[in-house]
Amino acid sequence: MIRLNEQQIMLKKSARDLLANECPSSLVRKLAEEEGGWPEQAWSKMAELGWLGLIVPEEHCGCAGSFFDLVVLAEEMGRACLPGPFMSSSVVGAMFILEMGNEKQKMEYLTKIADGSLIIAPAILEPKCDWRLDKISVKAVKTGDSYVISGTKTLVPYAHIANVIICLAATSSGPAIFLIDKKLDGVKTTSLKNMDGDKLFEINFNKVKVSAKDMLGKPDKNLVHVKNVLSKAAVVKCAEMVGGGQQVLDFTVDYVKERKQFGSPVGAFQAVQHHCANMFTDVETSRLLTYEAAAKISNGEIFALEAAMAKSWVNEAYTRITYTSHQCVGGVGFMADHDLPLYTRRAKTSEYLFGDSVMQRENVAKLLKL
Amino acid sequence: MALELSQNESKVFSEVHDLLVKETTPDVAEEIFHTGGVYGGPKARKVIQKVGARGWLCPSWPKKYGGIESSELLRFKIVDDMAYLGLPYMFIGAHMAGPLILKHASEELKDEFLPVLAKGNIEICLGYTEPQAGSDLASLEIRAEDKGDYFLINGQKMFNTSAHIADYHWLAARTDPNAPKHKGITLMIVDLKTPGITIRPMVSMAGWKTNEVFYDNVQVPKYRVVGELNKGFYYIMTALDYERAFVTGAYRRVFDDLAGYVKTASLNGKLLSKDPIIRQQLAELAIELEVAHLLYYRLADMLDHHETPSYEPCMEKLFGTELTKRVTNTAMQIMGPAAQLLEGTKGALLGGAMQHHYLSCIIETVYGGTSEIMRNIMALRGLGLPAR
Repeated sequence: MIRLNEQQIMLKKSARDLLANECPSSLVRKLAEEEGGWPEQAWSKMAELGWLGLIVPEEHCGCAGSFFDLVVLAEEMGRACLPGPFMSSSVVGAMFILEMGNEKQKMEYLTKIADGSLIIAPAILEPKCDWRLDKISVKAVKTGDSYVISGTKTLVPYAHIANVIICLAATSSGPAIFLIDKKLDGVKTTSLKNMDGDKLFEINFNKVKVSAKDMLGKPDKNLVHVKNVLSKAAVVKCAEMVGGGQQVLDFTVDYVKERKQFGSPVGAFQAVQHHCANMFTDVETSRLLTYEAAAKISNGEIFALEAAMAKSWVNEAYTRITYTSHQCVGGVGFMADHDLPLYTRRAKTSEYLFGDSVMQRENVAKLLKL
Repeated sequence: MALELSQNESKVFSEVHDLLVKETTPDVAEEIFHTGGVYGGPKARKVIQKVGARGWLCPSWPKKYGGIESSELLRFKIVDDMAYLGLPYMFIGAHMAGPLILKHASEELKDEFLPVLAKGNIEICLGYTEPQAGSDLASLEIRAEDKGDYFLINGQKMFNTSAHIADYHWLAARTDPNAPKHKGITLMIVDLKTPGITIRPMVSMAGWKTNEVFYDNVQVPKYRVVGELNKGFYYIMTALDYERAFVTGAYRRVFDDLAGYVKTASLNGKLLSKDPIIRQQLAELAIELEVAHLLYYRLADMLDHHETPSYEPCMEKLFGTELTKRVTNTAMQIMGPAAQLLEGTKGALLGGAMQHHYLSCIIETVYGGTSEIMRNIMALRGLGLPAR
């Protein structure tokens, strides 16, 4: 069984304390209402603590933490339901550059990601293309030593505060990743209204010209490196979801101990106890699978199967937890000013990110050689 | 899944695995399948004794009692492997009564029972349940009257699995009818050949047997009491907690057999393993089997760290047993109508095994603590929810 080491326990505690102060649920609700709202103050504090560069190597002013450290941190962020570009920029953006960038690109971007001055927005999905990435329509046409990029990406997180967009586009030799300065001619962002509080955008690329030097890695029909990054990101997302699930379980248990009906706390009734036991199982099994995948990644072992299993399971478990909590807390939990809806919304949108359970199970079947 | 066995224990495990594979010949497997897999018949017992002779049946026990002083992790791994290979693996004697004897019994009883249990030479069956005392175990009534140097026992037990092949009964009897129910129960080891004991079979819907056991003026010498008088209920509660982990190995085998089957079988002209719906179903089962696996090894890890589990065994048993029903039900669906045919019939699939597993595992969520009780305990002990 995987146990946290002393530093991870300390990281977990300090993250819990900071986020309880900097990201109370009232702020999460407020930012969800605000056009373009994001937790700027918490972001600076996180930068100071080195969290934004947690997995960035020391030579780029990062903390050189392990992947597992990132998972410990992500769980606490999920518990607080922290909105913002951490996942999209500090995790996905940083990992793309770490895995696929050349030395020059790493030097250019990683330090700034770590100190919080650079925010990256990954533009991967399209209106007709989900996380399977089977049919990428945004095209990058080579002309001399440039590429001209045209097409539409959607569901891009925090594009409004991003400086650089990481865009997956189809070239004649296969799909490739491009680093695109958001201020370039032809880049147009449109805000999308979304079910959870995170800010998503459609980005239209209209003949945007980028240097061939701004490609990350090489074109690859099989998207090996891209899928590798997304698979790891999925495990970080699982950790965030475990944290959310744990928070929901905790406040549900607290509530049912207090709430009285028929002369007794409702938490004394077997049906309610069974619901809580089911949520408990969902949280703990989600954590076990997530930790198993995270340990494989941290140890440099093959992890694709464990990552797919984790994301598949956690997707459905987190949503079950929120549904079950609604049954336990009753009417008050359905109100917009209650904390539960923040998690109910987040659970559902999290299912999609980096691949829903149907897609993950397809991967499991393939990896099991069925 | 990587298990952190030490290098030394990894070597031991390899040896155990090789022995198990070598000894599980088709006729042994055949015998076990028909005896309901609980302790097997004479052929299976010989295999168990070979395992026991090397100290591998109770490997975590002290060497003087027939173990090799290994980690609990090694024990859990061995049992899981035995289950996967189709060998009997649920030893009440070696894995439930044995640890309680080790923890609470007199030196005399330890010397009498532990070595023979570790060698696989005797088996013990549980004597807890009665017609009116199932989940409500504290309501057991079988009466043990103090007669000086022995107890005189009268009453009845029910659903005592493997009583018909066991050598001893692990009996929970009421020694103090005046105390509160859970404070008047004593555990004792009874030779099932003692005059006055009658064993009557009860046939389950899955074809294998359990038993009623009747005690008519049965004399049990006092030295056969395990631990302290009237403390039996507490010993039972802790034992049910941490020695009895549900072993998923057998159902991982069912899954692997199913996965092998779909790669060669067709229905309606289509290879089953290429059907996207079937692939989704199998992937989901594989994921859940991995979850059950992690819950199982968590228990070993806790025991090796000398941590007292509270809700963890219940969560493990609950999840694992409910999963067995999903595995077998899904398998029946995938295999189609011929899966209902029995062994030996023309057109039977996988030797009629799946319908047998389907029916058998229905009891898994009832015995050893119902799923409902498991959830109650998780809520009370694990989450601190109030009792009624």
